[in-house]
Amino acid sequence: MKIGFPRALFYFDFFPFWAGFFHHLNIEVVTSPPTNRQIMDLGLKNASDETCLPLKLLSGHIQALKAVDWVFLPRMVSVEAETYTCPKFLGIPESLLSSVPTGIPVLSVTLNWRKGQRLVLKDLQTMGETLGKSKIEIKQAFYEGQKWQEKFQKTRGAEWNFAPTNLEWPPEPERLKIALVGHSYLIQESYANLNLLKKLREKARVELVQHVDQIEIETNLLELRKKLFWSHSKQIYGAGNKFLADPEIDGIIYLTCFGCGTDSIVQELLSRKARQRHKPYMVITLDEHSGEAGLITRLEAFLDMIERRRVHEGYVSTHGERLDCNSNTL
Amino acid sequence: MKVTFPHMGNAWIVIQTLFESLNVEVVVPPVNSKRTLNLGTRLSPESACLPLKLNLGNYIEAASQGADTIVITGGIGPCRFGYYGEVEREILRDAGYDYEVVTLEPPNGSLLGLAKRIRFLAGTKNSWTKILKALRFAYLKSVGLDRIEDLIHAARPRLPSPLDTEKLYEEGKERLAQTMSEKGIFDTIQWVQETIRERQVNVRSSVDGKYKPLRIGIVGEIYTILDPYSSMGVEQELGQLGIEVDRSIYLSGWVGNHVFQGLVPGYRSIKSYPGYAKHYLPHFVGGHGQETVGAAVKFAREGFDGIIQIFPLSCMPEIVAASVLPKIQEAYKIPIMTLIVDEHTGQAGIKTRLEAFVDLLERPTMLRGIEQTRGEVLGVGGR
Repeated sequence: MKIGFPRALFYFDFFPFWAGFFHHLNIEVVTSPPTNRQIMDLGLKNASDETCLPLKLLSGHIQALKAVDWVFLPRMVSVEAETYTCPKFLGIPESLLSSVPTGIPVLSVTLNWRKGQRLVLKDLQTMGETLGKSKIEIKQAFYEGQKWQEKFQKTRGAEWNFAPTNLEWPPEPERLKIALVGHSYLIQESYANLNLLKKLREKARVELVQHVDQIEIETNLLELRKKLFWSHSKQIYGAGNKFLADPEIDGIIYLTCFGCGTDSIVQELLSRKARQRHKPYMVITLDEHSGEAGLITRLEAFLDMIERRRVHEGYVSTHGERLDCNSNTL
Repeated sequence: MKVTFPHMGNAWIVIQTLFESLNVEVVVPPVNSKRTLNLGTRLSPESACLPLKLNLGNYIEAASQGADTIVITGGIGPCRFGYYGEVEREILRDAGYDYEVVTLEPPNGSLLGLAKRIRFLAGTKNSWTKILKALRFAYLKSVGLDRIEDLIHAARPRLPSPLDTEKLYEEGKERLAQTMSEKGIFDTIQWVQETIRERQVNVRSSVDGKYKPLRIGIVGEIYTILDPYSSMGVEQELGQLGIEVDRSIYLSGWVGNHVFQGLVPGYRSIKSYPGYAKHYLPHFVGGHGQETVGAAVKFAREGFDGIIQIFPLSCMPEIVAASVLPKIQEAYKIPIMTLIVDEHTGQAGIKTRLEAFVDLLERPTMLRGIEQTRGEVLGVGGR
């Protein structure tokens, strides 16, 4: 039996769990190829116009799955207590059924960690019935999956190589250190983000959300008066907040996509903090029309600005007129 | 302390009543207008949804009337409305407005925290019994408001002069806003009914009463369907085109579910919708996404002629609903149109689309409906 796993959206965070899970059940998992022109076009044509780029890509990846017995589209309602994923995750698979190639059934399961592990297991066992697996097999597979996922998180994805970017640069203190924050499915989606991560790594040392310890993220969330209720946003805000306070970090780039609802809130909160702390901060908004030249120009301008700021230490003569007299970012 | 709150259609009448019966000073912000939206848009994140922009505009306009405390409701996701209070607080502070923002929700699930917040708003003079009484009265008023609104929905396509119907609606709202007794609410509804009955007598004899109005169900994101400004008055526009309108969510239905946690049903309870949606969207998606789908199914089964979905640009739950609606359109052979609104929405554009949609619906029924009469307003609305 072959299960088709689209290489989009939840793939970047939770694939190890599902890989371990299905591996234990002796089910082969086939992923769609990395995003390419054709997949993107398929997605744009089929997905609803209003939805965001990552979901359009998911639609393309679903259509790119060939010769599989099932298309696997889990409904990841929640991945930890007290949080949700994005509402668009909750609408999977129904909102994407039209993308599934005719004749291939959809395998789905509702994963809701808000209700605790027992019910997650129960939901998985219901799915197991469809696959003809016993409850005990599912339980063991679940633990196997968790083991894989834990290892993945501990090694920060080193062995999984989702984004071929683990190039090690010699530690030069001269090089700028830039933090790139945003959803994993944008930062590691190198086709859609026009290879931003690689481009950035060529010019500077890069810190990602995944590089921050969970404990540090939690402590950086404490100052919020109300808990954020999206798991991804918690990671992004917690890590971003840590980067803001870190004097080693020279600047922060927030990668988002057009129409992202959770980012519209979190980005606003972070940008305000960045302003208060006088940290260089740039937002890059992706959509299907993003052009490479525009991205490179903005990236270079941002890095140049930081470079200059380093030399001048942000001190600008108070005498006379200056161009940025109305800006408080310096 | 002067309390203010964001606008959402007729909700101001209910909220004003609530605070006034507790002797709390309240500032009702000027109704949503181009100015409100401009003021709000200037401060908002560009990709935030329309309600946030209008909310901020309301606060700024209320600030110039001396308001210093904001009351809004909250939520724990996954719709971003749940985080509005926090973001609005930050934005207003940075913009130099000294506001206290009170979110009416149990902080971290603590009911004691909620009680403290209510106590903060109500002051020390009001006993809990009085607060509960005020809540009950405000709720009754919201039900009354919804009944009047529904009567007007039925009256618009049936009464001869559109202008008089709007005037009746305005006066009904006015009377309801001013009354402070249960009898007053009841009397107002009766008065509206009587007025409609009188006007209908005149119609019956004339010739132009000889057709049955088409029915369109309006579904979608709650703010945009409850607030006529944000949707450019879709309901009024449709009513004047001779369409009878019904809506998925009414104010008191939302109040009953969201504020009272389902303890009271409200007018047209929204509880049944997830059941209708089951086949198309079996899981909730935050906001009212599942309700939108459920209501669409319900309207389709009740034989409505068309459905219009309205939501603000980038609304996450409604996008999910929108991608499911084509299935319903196909299954029930009912035309569904989606209107997405943001700060650039223009009246003319909406009007053109509505007229085209109505034309499309009218064509197949032109012959069929010629023998039928319009029916009476009171037989249709406000039940």
